[in-house]
Amino acid sequence: MKSNLYNHTFFISIIAALLLCTNGTAQENDLSNFKMRFDFKTVKQADNSRLLEVTFIALNKEDRKDQPPVYKAEIQFFNIQNDEEILLGSSKTSKEGVAQLILPENQKYNIDGEGYINLRARFNSTDALSEEEEDLMVKDLHLDLNLSVIDSVKTVTLTAFTIDSLGVKTPVNDVYVTTYVKAMLSKKNIDEGIISDGEYTFAMSQSFAGNTKGDLTISSIIDDNDEYGNIIQEKTVHWGTFNKQIKTDENKLWTKAAPIWMYVVLTILLLGVYVNFIYTIVNLFKIKKEGSELEIKKEPYRNT
Amino acid sequence: MKENKAEESGTNRRKFLKLGLLSSFTAIAGSSIVTSLTAQEEEKEPAGEVIRLLTPDGKIVEVNASNINNYPEALITPEESRKGIPDRKFVMVIDLAKCKNARKCVEGCQKGHNLDYGQEFMKIKLLQDNPTSEPYWFPKNCMHCDEPPCVTVCPTGATFKREDNIVLVDNERCIGCKFCVTSCPYSARIFNWEHKAKFDDKSQPYSPETSVPGATGTVTKCDFCPDLLRQGLLPHCAQSCPEGVIYFGDKNEDLVTNGQETLSFSKLLTDRGGYRHLEHLGTKPNVYYLPPVDRLYELEDGFDVSEEVKERYKDVPYVQELKKQGKI
Amino acid sequence: MNIESRKRELFKEFAPRLETTSMLTKIYIGFLIVIILAGLYAFYLQMSEGQIVTGMRDNVVWGIYEVNFILLVCISYSGAFISGILHFFHTPWKTAIARIVEIITVLSLLIGPIYILLCMGRLDRLHYLFMYPRIQSPITWDIMAIITDIVACFIYLYLTFIPDFAILRDHCEERNIPKWIKKMYKTLAIGYQDTKTQRNRLHKITRTMSAMVIVLAIVAYSVLAWIFSLTLQPGWNSTIFAPYFIIGGLFSGVAFIIITMYLVRKFYKLEKYIRRMHFKVGGIILLILAMLYGYFTFTEYFSRWFSHKAIDTNLLDKLFTRYFWEFILANYVGILVPIGILFFKKFRTIKWVTIAAIIALVGVWLNRYLIVIPTLETPYVPIQDTRIDYLFYSASWVEITLSIAGIATFLLMFTLIGKIVPLVPMNYILDGRTAPDTVQNKDNKKISE
Repeated sequence: MKSNLYNHTFFISIIAALLLCTNGTAQENDLSNFKMRFDFKTVKQADNSRLLEVTFIALNKEDRKDQPPVYKAEIQFFNIQNDEEILLGSSKTSKEGVAQLILPENQKYNIDGEGYINLRARFNSTDALSEEEEDLMVKDLHLDLNLSVIDSVKTVTLTAFTIDSLGVKTPVNDVYVTTYVKAMLSKKNIDEGIISDGEYTFAMSQSFAGNTKGDLTISSIIDDNDEYGNIIQEKTVHWGTFNKQIKTDENKLWTKAAPIWMYVVLTILLLGVYVNFIYTIVNLFKIKKEGSELEIKKEPYRNT
Repeated sequence: MKENKAEESGTNRRKFLKLGLLSSFTAIAGSSIVTSLTAQEEEKEPAGEVIRLLTPDGKIVEVNASNINNYPEALITPEESRKGIPDRKFVMVIDLAKCKNARKCVEGCQKGHNLDYGQEFMKIKLLQDNPTSEPYWFPKNCMHCDEPPCVTVCPTGATFKREDNIVLVDNERCIGCKFCVTSCPYSARIFNWEHKAKFDDKSQPYSPETSVPGATGTVTKCDFCPDLLRQGLLPHCAQSCPEGVIYFGDKNEDLVTNGQETLSFSKLLTDRGGYRHLEHLGTKPNVYYLPPVDRLYELEDGFDVSEEVKERYKDVPYVQELKKQGKI
Repeated sequence: MNIESRKRELFKEFAPRLETTSMLTKIYIGFLIVIILAGLYAFYLQMSEGQIVTGMRDNVVWGIYEVNFILLVCISYSGAFISGILHFFHTPWKTAIARIVEIITVLSLLIGPIYILLCMGRLDRLHYLFMYPRIQSPITWDIMAIITDIVACFIYLYLTFIPDFAILRDHCEERNIPKWIKKMYKTLAIGYQDTKTQRNRLHKITRTMSAMVIVLAIVAYSVLAWIFSLTLQPGWNSTIFAPYFIIGGLFSGVAFIIITMYLVRKFYKLEKYIRRMHFKVGGIILLILAMLYGYFTFTEYFSRWFSHKAIDTNLLDKLFTRYFWEFILANYVGILVPIGILFFKKFRTIKWVTIAAIIALVGVWLNRYLIVIPTLETPYVPIQDTRIDYLFYSASWVEITLSIAGIATFLLMFTLIGKIVPLVPMNYILDGRTAPDTVQNKDNKKISE
């Protein structure tokens, strides 16, 4: 390795020079070779709340791996109607460059003539970074998840519809939906299909263990639909096949408390030994007592 | 001693930097100090998780993750960490057919646990079952055994087995007798032989679940990253493997995932002939291996590593043969 | 009574050594102190820098500290065992060597555990052993065994000292001995006047303690062996390890006693008491133990070689390549040469028995080294993907200095004890002279006559 380095002094010096150069530019904070990425998306979550999320990242045009997130940038979220911005709230980007705003289920939105909610996310320009803005149009879709056992077949039924201002339900068509079983760290795809006439049904072919109570969480997701954005619906059902006995190990070699016999044997051994020690010491004291008695007896003779 | 001092002043600089970041500095002079500081820090502190960020005022800064990445609410005290995550039985499945010694798991783990280069919870061995069969790359971490010999021999209970299968070390309890190191048949444990400046970094309070910060004269090892599991994330090694070699999950749920796909644990073992390493020792490991059949990569692909790492396999007979043939 | 005059005579004989210190002894003590200071410096270095200053690394986490620990503790156990036997069975020739054995027992039991402490990474947390004990751990058993054994050996040693302290107390008045030592004699003699009841009582408790010490030594030996044999490691996980350690320990212990006897005889001018007979008997015991030890060693390695489990084969391969000379020295030279010397009657002289003992002691140390280190270098999962400098173990100067400092501490303490009390128990000599038949008859009543 070392010899290689010395052989290529020329290249090394060029690389060193390049390194120094980049250091120099970094100190001047030259952002010209960075392109900004500003992504805005919305997700209707299982509890019917709506999540607004902006991902704000700088991309290095020369080094694709260099993607520093923008940290603590304030992002404002608006609902737009007739070019009028109604502020929904604002949030700062995290260290991943993500700013989130969660709007509750009962949040009122202004809807345009075609039934769309118009949303906007904006980052106001600073001395160094220019303004970023992105708009989004989304229809409020209601997704219901029904889990039932029909003829001993576990059946998942999805209904999807929109509600207009008069409260009339309109079933939706041609919406691609994926259904998963949720695990602790991931979700397992069990079915995908297209909702037509507001309904989609499938039977669960596989069986799952579920959690220790035998409960299974089924999650249906509409991902990045042009009209409806992202929608997640979830339900937990007692469909799991988990039937193991959960037992805790006790009095094993590796548990906190040892096997009982170990305590018994150890106590007997130690008691036996230490009782003997005490016996010996008691006897020593007896010897001492006798000795001091002798001493007292002797004393008068010595004095005379 | 000299090194220690240098590293100590490094920590001070980091603290200063943190202050600077928080109290939104104004002048250009300030920013130049920061950048020059970060440049120096790059030299002094190659280890530790450093992240690159762009601030709204247009400065690219590199900061130590622990300075802005505090999860005080997620901190699990040593006492709590003895209980484990309720109703879980964690297992890992390593698919040997897909491993090509890319060493991303090793690096991801080192980064996540603030380990130095050369200090590994996860090691990649080159094993050969018999002289005829071809060797294979074998990632090995702690097996989190159901009958852990290391826990049995610990005189103070510094290492313990939790109900969620995880075996952890509490380095505030460990007396450093190293008996657990000698009793582990998988050589999973390593020892902190000397003091390091990073051990003094108390910005993140210690938890056995993160194994950070380390402590001089104590034993440490793979912890299955329970801090990440609590957040619903995969352990560092599984997260960082580009090939999806490492599957992780809950045995009760019977589902394991490598971040790309989710599979049934029992079916995976049945279909692929999953086994546990050194089963005959009776330690009942919780890391399962899928045999290296129908491999995705040539064995030699695994030698696309640095010279220093290549040297670490020089005693393997197969490697010596490959060298003779000039293949690596 | 002629016992009284005999006591005075004996005291006169041993007193000069207690009174004055020759120039040579002073230089010798100074030399030992220098070595101990070097050891203290090495200790300070290890405490401040961490165990990185030792040769121990992630694979070989126990080095020569552990080897020293086993050797010293085994010497102590065998010392206890032997002195227990000497006393319990009223061995006639115990007189001259009993005290030496007892001092060896206590000193090596005090120094040995220091080495296991040096192996520990966090000495500041030593009390955790008692705060959070886990009784499944062989280390916990070992700690209990060592502490109990230390207490037992101290009590036992003290019991055998009492009559001597009484003699020293009664006769030191007219002598030029520092006042504090005189005072110490008086306190330690606890008013022992050698009356009939006192004598009987002392004999009774000494006898039970001697039995206790034998039992404790066996238990402690076994526990020490179990630290290794209860793990899964090749070369350690062996059912015969406990008896193997007992025999090996006795072998090294007897060898050590013979060497000490030789040195004491020479430097303390005790030729009158420590005679060729003692070396002859010691030599025969060493011969028997060497044969037993050789038998155990052979069985141990033979069964591993014959069944050739893969992991055992790896270990044996390592022993016969990397550790070839150590293996030859430990298990061929260290056993066969002592047997060869001691087998012939004409070689059972003071000089040759001592030479055999030295070879035996070095052999056992090496044997312990070959038990601890090569196994740690041969784990189930082969050592790969490890820093090159972490591969093999070789003791660093810190470890070597501390090992030598241990020997120096032993010698220094032995010398200092020799300055306070006679190294030959006066009361045993008196027992032997006044009523030789009663001692052999094992009849306590007659002794008091």
